[in-house]
Amino acid sequence: MAVTDKNREIIFSEAMNEAIRQEMRRDDKVFMLGESIQAPTYPHTSGLVQEFGAERVIDTPLAEAGIHGMAYGAALEGYRPIIDFMSSVFSYYAFAEIAIIAGQQYFMHGSKTPVPMVMMGASGTGHSLGNDHAMAAYGTYLHHPGTKVVYPSTPQDAKGLMTAAIRDNNPVMFQWHSGMMMDRGEVSEGEFVIPLGVAEIKKAGSDVTVVASGMMVRHSLKAAAALAGEISVEVLDPRSLEPFDMEALLTSLEKTNRLVIVDEVYESGGFAATLSARVMEQGFDLLDAPVVRVTLPNMPIPAGALEAKVLPNPASIEAAIRKTCACRLTGG
Amino acid sequence: MSLTKTQLKKIYTNLARADHFDRRMEARMLQGEMVGFYHAAKGSIAPGVGLCSLLNKDDNLSPHHRAHGIAHMLSKGIDIKPYIAEHSGKITGCCAGRSTYHFSFPDDKVYLMSAFIGYSPTLAVGWGWAAKRRNQKQVVACCTGDGTYSQGRLHESLIFANNGKLPIIYLCENNGFSMSTSTAHTHPVEDFADLAKGYGMPGYVVDGQDVFAVAEVAQKAIKRARNGGGPTLIEAKVLRSCSHSVGVPDKDGWEERDPKELEKEFNARNPLRIARERVIADGLFTLAETESIDEDARKEFDAIEVFSDSGELADLTVDEMLAEVYA
Repeated sequence: MAVTDKNREIIFSEAMNEAIRQEMRRDDKVFMLGESIQAPTYPHTSGLVQEFGAERVIDTPLAEAGIHGMAYGAALEGYRPIIDFMSSVFSYYAFAEIAIIAGQQYFMHGSKTPVPMVMMGASGTGHSLGNDHAMAAYGTYLHHPGTKVVYPSTPQDAKGLMTAAIRDNNPVMFQWHSGMMMDRGEVSEGEFVIPLGVAEIKKAGSDVTVVASGMMVRHSLKAAAALAGEISVEVLDPRSLEPFDMEALLTSLEKTNRLVIVDEVYESGGFAATLSARVMEQGFDLLDAPVVRVTLPNMPIPAGALEAKVLPNPASIEAAIRKTCACRLTGG
Repeated sequence: MSLTKTQLKKIYTNLARADHFDRRMEARMLQGEMVGFYHAAKGSIAPGVGLCSLLNKDDNLSPHHRAHGIAHMLSKGIDIKPYIAEHSGKITGCCAGRSTYHFSFPDDKVYLMSAFIGYSPTLAVGWGWAAKRRNQKQVVACCTGDGTYSQGRLHESLIFANNGKLPIIYLCENNGFSMSTSTAHTHPVEDFADLAKGYGMPGYVVDGQDVFAVAEVAQKAIKRARNGGGPTLIEAKVLRSCSHSVGVPDKDGWEERDPKELEKEFNARNPLRIARERVIADGLFTLAETESIDEDARKEFDAIEVFSDSGELADLTVDEMLAEVYA
């Protein structure tokens, strides 16, 4: 959608804060709950309790399943809760509830009663904190139908997608990379929605398509810059992984015929594998070379200095691009 | 404060209906008319009736899975026809045949059942929070077995509930077993109601074979909740006179439970017989009137069966179902 009033730069966290604030003003059914969100622990909840009070910006006991249950029950009663899990992976303490019970409530009960709730949390490779903070939890939730999954890469996207997530009538997992929280970018001031399921080409190119989300978009843009003049790279940011904009990807592949998927989760059972298979099923004739994946290796994310060894980065993405572009079809 | 004659009569009638419906559902399961499992209640049907006969339509209810909450559901005044049809996978079921025994009645504020034992206490917090925020004196009945009290989620729920003085009535229907594991092996003290003290709320132990005793305590807890006093934990001690699930051997650990002993215990403490003696002694009903209540329950279930059996099985294509996953 067209957004015209890009008239100031704010940081990623402020963009999320603005979306939450605007939605809480617009709809008194929206409320927020989590651990130490009043403080705030992260700047995206800054000032919310002062404006909306402790009844709508709720500091809860340290109990993820309890927090989820409170939000889920309220959602069934017509409220629109936003859970702040702080680190997205802490949501695993409420895993059965998110993935199976609440996530699949709507269909299982006759597609009558919506469950509008946003579950937000940071992911955080790159801080050497080890697996418990660093693990991006989005891949796991993509495996379970019923929950939408959003992973923005810019402040503008963060605001528009957060607004869409809060207005959505389904559970939405809204995750972001903690290394991007202080990213600065142009963000429109008023209310606006970026619909879930609409990809954006972050950089146009003609030789290869790189699909990347969150921090991986930034890494992919760096790789593309490094290859400038040699290989023309198109960077496609799906912005939400469920729903996924398959049409945009196939359209891009009609031009480039080569695909690299960068996925900040494990190789095994990961979204890159799913997407690679879908492209083979739906767009095999568009491919001139095998799909190349850049993922986390199947091992715990180490803390400390070892972390950097396992993370996808501009160099590993550049290598993947070179690999797929080096593959030339012969014969005929 | 005590129960009115009208309430006592309603409670007795609901108990007779629940007792009859439980036996009919077990029969339907054995006849292959129901899908999935059936967890019969025999001997433990009373607590749900005692509490839920006192609920209003706009109170939240999470029923216990024992007898698939039939006691709770009919006592709250919910239409049992789509409930039974759902148990048979019919399109006329309350969830369009998709959930079978995980039914829901959102208009009556029964939103789900789940096999994840322990799922309901945290949800009760959300319902209680919403009720308190609306300020319309609604309450939440969170009915579970003792197995739920092994889950950490129960602890989370109790702290949230009393922090917020939420209007929740926790009914622990303690039949002494989690499937085939004796509660004596899994819970360190005799009474779950003792937990209440640690969370700063009232806790009661009540004889779950006596529906009126349960109702007396429930009435107190409901009044407290409606008046903003906060949550209450009620432990109803009940028999388990049958196996955990229809068709499953009835064991205590690895040993078979003695069916003769169980039958003797049931006959001595049959909740419907206890209640019938009370209503006749108190002059609420004559023996003939109780027989007529039983007959009405039979006819009522006959009609429910006709409704369920005449419905079509749910039949959607995968594409049709895929289109209904998201709201």
